[in-house]
Amino acid sequence: MAKVGVVGIGHTKFGNLSEFDLGDIMAYAATDALEDAGFLEKRKEIDQVIVGNMASGLFCHQSAVASSVISKMDMEPVPAELVENGPASGASAIKIGYMAVASGMADIVLVIAGEVMRKVTGWTGTEYVATMLHPQAEYDMGLTLPGFGGMFTRMYMEKYGLTERDLALLAVKNHANGAKNKYAHIQAECTIEAIADGPEANVVNTYVAEPLRMYSTCPVSDGAAALLLVNMDSPKAKLFSKKPIRIAGIASATDTHCVHNRKDPLKLDAVRIAGEKAYAMAGLTPKDISFAELHDAFSILELAISEEVGFFERGKSFLAVRKGETEIDGRLPINTSGGLKSKGHPVGATGVSQAVELVRQLRGEAEEGRQVRDPKYGMAVNFGGFGNNVVAMIFAKE
Amino acid sequence: MIDFSMYDFKEPEIMAYKCEKCGTLYYPAPMICGKCHSRRDPVSDAHWETFALKGPCTLLTWTRLWNLPEGYNKKYLLFGIVQFDNGLRASGRLETDNPVTGMPLVATVVSSDERPGKPVNVFVFKEAE
Ligand SMILES: [Zn+2]
Repeated sequence: MAKVGVVGIGHTKFGNLSEFDLGDIMAYAATDALEDAGFLEKRKEIDQVIVGNMASGLFCHQSAVASSVISKMDMEPVPAELVENGPASGASAIKIGYMAVASGMADIVLVIAGEVMRKVTGWTGTEYVATMLHPQAEYDMGLTLPGFGGMFTRMYMEKYGLTERDLALLAVKNHANGAKNKYAHIQAECTIEAIADGPEANVVNTYVAEPLRMYSTCPVSDGAAALLLVNMDSPKAKLFSKKPIRIAGIASATDTHCVHNRKDPLKLDAVRIAGEKAYAMAGLTPKDISFAELHDAFSILELAISEEVGFFERGKSFLAVRKGETEIDGRLPINTSGGLKSKGHPVGATGVSQAVELVRQLRGEAEEGRQVRDPKYGMAVNFGGFGNNVVAMIFAKE
Repeated sequence: MIDFSMYDFKEPEIMAYKCEKCGTLYYPAPMICGKCHSRRDPVSDAHWETFALKGPCTLLTWTRLWNLPEGYNKKYLLFGIVQFDNGLRASGRLETDNPVTGMPLVATVVSSDERPGKPVNVFVFKEAE
C-alpha cells in the first residue's frame, strides 16, 4: 500500500460565519491548504477532491456542495464527491481520500470539510442534529445528542465517581489551549472558580442536560478545514514545498444505532475498535502517542474516548486530569487545539480540523504556549452519532 | 348529536419483535435476525411475532434536558433509558418528581404532536404504583 502524507493544511477561524456561503467558506480553507503546499497554480493537477459535510441540506438548504466548491475554486474538471458520516464526516472524508491514494487511483487528493450551522436558530439546529438518532426509537421520543451526553455522563459518574467539578477541569484545560489557538471559536480562558467553585458558578455554568452543564458542552460553530494528501512514494511528492506529515494509521468502526441496544451502554466499542485498527496499521501502541485530539462534543467523551483508545484504564482518566497529565505540558496533552469545547464544532468540519491540529503540532507550527514539545505521533478520534460511527487517525512526523 | 362511543379509539402502542425461528427479541425492529439471520419483511412481518412493549421496567440512567429542540415549548423534559424484565431496553420520556437510577417504573405510550410532522408514539416511563 502506498504511503500517504499531508503536504498542505487550511482552516478558517471557527465561530459564527452564518453571513457567508458554505461553499465560500470551504473554498477559502481549501485555498489556504493549496497555498500552504505551494500548489495553488497547479490545482487542476489534483486527481480527486473529497468533500466532507454532514447536513448542508438541512442547515443551508443546499445540496451537491462538492460541485459548488469546485466551481468557486476554478478547478473543473477535477472529480469531486461528497462524504457524509454525521459529525465524523470530516475524518471519513480523509479516510476515503486515503483509500483513493492507497488504491493507486489517485496520487494527489484534496480533502475539504465544512459546516454552516448558525443560519438557523439553536432551537432548530438542535432539532437538525437530532436527525442522526434512530428515527423512531430515539428521535421521535424528543431526545437529542446532549440528552444522550447527559445520560452517558450520569452512568459514568455513578459507576466511577466522576464529579461535575472534574468535568469543569476539562473545560478549564481546553479553554486555556483554545485561547491561544488562532482558529478557535471561543478564544477565552475560564477559571474553575467561575464555573465550579465560586458562588455564582451555578448561574454562569447552567445545566444543559443534567448532569452536563454549559461548560461541558461544545458551542454551535461554523467553519471549514482542508488537507492536501499525496502519495509519498510517487515522484509527484516532490512537487510540494512542505515536507509531508505521514498518515500512519486511519480506521473506522460502527456500533448499534440505538444507544440502549449496547450490551454495556458505557462502552464505546466503535472507538475501541477504530483505535485498535489504527494502532495496528501504524504498528504503534497507546504509549507511542505524544498528544491527541479527542472529540469532546461533551466533556465526558474526552474521558471515555481516552480510555477506549488505551491511554488510561477504564474509569481512571479523570484522575489523570486532576493531576494535570493531559495539560499542554503534561505527560499526554489532550485537545491541544482547545478541543470541540473551545475551538468549536462545525459538525462536518471537525475531523479535518483535528487533522490540521495534528499537522500543526507535528510540524512545530502551533502557537507559543500550546506547542507540544517535540511530538512524534499525534492521534485524533472523530466521533459520529452517539458513538455509532467513529474514525481514528494517527499522524507521524517523518 | 353524534355518538362518539361508536368509534374504537386505539391506544397508542410501540411494538417489539420476536424472531419465530430462534426466539431472539428486538426493539426497535431489525431487518435481519442477528442470531439466526432470518429476514423480516416489513410489509407482512411473516415469521416474526410482534408485541406491544410496555409495563414494568427499571431505570438505567436519566437526564433533565434543557434547551429542547424545535417544537417543544416546555422549560425542560426528563428522559431515561429503561430495561424490561425480558431484557429489552428502550429510551423515552420520564415522568417522576425524583428520578433515581435503579427505580422501578412502568412504561406507557402516548401520541405526541409536539415535533413538526405527523404525530408519533412516544414512551413515557412513570412511577410504579
Ligand atoms: Zn432469529
